[in-house]
Amino acid sequence: MAVKQYRKVLITSALLIVASSSFGQEARLKNGTIGYVMTDLFWAVYQTPDAKEECPKGFNSGPREQFTALFPDHESMTVEETQLRQEIETWHPTAHPDGFPYHDVEGDLSWGLNLDGEISANDFTHPSGEQGIDNEVYRAVGCIIGFRGPLGVEYIFQNKAILDERYNRMMIELTGVDNLQNDEEVTVNLYRGLDTLLTDATGLKAMAGGSQRIDTRWGASLMRHTTGKIVDGTLTTEPINEMVMPWMNLGVKSIHIFRDMRLQLKLTDTGAEGLVAGYADVDTWHKQLIRNDSTHHLSNGEISGISLYKALRRLADGHPDMETAENTSISTALDVKMVQVFIVHPETMRSTTANLTN
Amino acid sequence: MLTVTAGLMSPYPSGIQLPDLDTRPSCTDLWPPVIADKVDKPIGKWTIVMRRDGVRQWAYEEQPLYTSIHDDNPGDVLGGTQRRYSGDDPSKRVPLGPPSKVPPGFSVATITIGRILTTDQNESVYSYETDTAEQTMCIGDCAQRWEPVIAPALARKSGEWSTVERSPGVLQWVFRGKPLYTHVLDQHSWSQQGSDVAGWSNVFTQRAPSPPADFTSQTTIGGEVLADANGKTVYIYRCGDDSADQLACDHPNDTQVYRLAMCGGGDAKLCLKYWSYVHADMPAANSGGTWSVMSIDPKTGHLASSEEIDAINVWGYRDRPVYTFGGDLKPGDVNGDGTGEHRGQRNGLQAFMLRDDFMGGTL
Repeated sequence: MAVKQYRKVLITSALLIVASSSFGQEARLKNGTIGYVMTDLFWAVYQTPDAKEECPKGFNSGPREQFTALFPDHESMTVEETQLRQEIETWHPTAHPDGFPYHDVEGDLSWGLNLDGEISANDFTHPSGEQGIDNEVYRAVGCIIGFRGPLGVEYIFQNKAILDERYNRMMIELTGVDNLQNDEEVTVNLYRGLDTLLTDATGLKAMAGGSQRIDTRWGASLMRHTTGKIVDGTLTTEPINEMVMPWMNLGVKSIHIFRDMRLQLKLTDTGAEGLVAGYADVDTWHKQLIRNDSTHHLSNGEISGISLYKALRRLADGHPDMETAENTSISTALDVKMVQVFIVHPETMRSTTANLTN
Repeated sequence: MLTVTAGLMSPYPSGIQLPDLDTRPSCTDLWPPVIADKVDKPIGKWTIVMRRDGVRQWAYEEQPLYTSIHDDNPGDVLGGTQRRYSGDDPSKRVPLGPPSKVPPGFSVATITIGRILTTDQNESVYSYETDTAEQTMCIGDCAQRWEPVIAPALARKSGEWSTVERSPGVLQWVFRGKPLYTHVLDQHSWSQQGSDVAGWSNVFTQRAPSPPADFTSQTTIGGEVLADANGKTVYIYRCGDDSADQLACDHPNDTQVYRLAMCGGGDAKLCLKYWSYVHADMPAANSGGTWSVMSIDPKTGHLASSEEIDAINVWGYRDRPVYTFGGDLKPGDVNGDGTGEHRGQRNGLQAFMLRDDFMGGTL
């Protein structure tokens, strides 16, 4: 097996043309092009010690706590009257109140971006002082233990899935880059990669300088294109009308849909860090959560899929339905980290593999 | 007969009344034990266990043996499956059979499209179309990407297995006349990635019967999925109840309480709207017993009686109906995958993957 791994490294290297004796910017920013691959991605949740500022009324209850409250005499009841009733509420949700108090975030501060260009009473203020921050997902999930880092179950599993699962291997490629500090206009393409991440010896820390082939087959529908500008080392992109973010966690191939999605990333030649922000489709958001985690896993983070759906519906602030005028999306921001990667296009693969196949 | 839940459907506690108690079968109603005669004696791995009612039951490798009421004909294995299970699945019931006749170092895994040959490390093995039993065409750089599966010096021809000497003293395994390789760039177990390279194919000991002609295959962001004639992804319902004997509840003869809860909030009409059966025209040719046309009472989800005038004919896979999801809007959508309890594994629906490049290709 060791021999095989060695061969794999050799072949992958041959395929991906990454050899370079220099690890400086000139080596990584090549012909005005540089790529980055996601290694961390999770909902931006502004936290204060003990959550006293944002959650003065405490945290929300989860499925286990709600079941106990609803069915103290469950042993005299049937499956249909109890657990299946809760599953029906989970999988066929309504916006009607469920009788449990729901604790929204009450603080004024939040990470995120001003998505609509306006400053309204309902907006948050960025810790830097910028007003008009739109992040209603944070308002909905900020007082749920499972969404809070570093020990919340969603926080742990999703970041692990971003690192481990090739299904989630989203990356960006910037072209037309003169330098990484300032550039009036760069092109930004989004692809999914096909390969495992280059890591350090622990296998836990992604390293810059790896390679990724573009997934042109299963990932063709995930490709997107936009433009952006770099100011003082920070890339800000124009919004993408609709981005599909692959979101596999615990084995279910799920997605999120982000409308008007834009990136704000601090760039270096070894990585990028910042925000993915936009309006998340509410139904897709909820379905992703309950498909990936089910009530069993949600209960570990005290996340009630039933109560959370109602909160998402109540707080939704974007893309009103043409007929009902009900908002179908909710503003959000995600913390993202990326490492630099050499993105290998299919035409490059074809030319370099020609000698390796009969 | 068990009457209350065992608390297996976390986070829900135990002790809740199971559904349809008036018609609930016992475990042995569904799984008749294989009874040993009074004169039978243990031999080798075959032993006899004493049931609580004093009846002697055959066991193999210490596992008591049963038959399934779902098996009507010799060769049927509709009660259980040897497909891979994962941690959240209900209890595993598998058909007992001899191990695959493969040399040491190989294994056979059951996936939706057949029984795939792998190494004992679950690496897929491949064959190359221009190779013969006597000569391999994959040499030099090719052998860097396609690693020959080396046979020991003592290997001898046996049945469908033989060897080819690819260089002096180096033997390569040959199966059904084709030298075998692994694909160095495969990224997961039971991979089909190598078959994307022209001339190269996965090796199967047995292919699954093809789906009926009006089914299609569609590309998704997770791999290749079975779809209906309109390209809508096909799903399978999976269910094991929350009792200590974990009876399956995925068959139309089983209680429909669980399925109706998931597909329509307990409303059979909504189930038909959200999770449609895949309708079949009668008479339709069945496909090798794996695929069949089933007559279903849409008001209950149970098999229809011959007098049921509203019965519908639907496609069944391994004697269970298959479904499409109303939330899938275009070919390639798999928005219903993982619907239900425990990510669709214990009371829910999962997409019928034909090829899964991200999860190992098994359902």
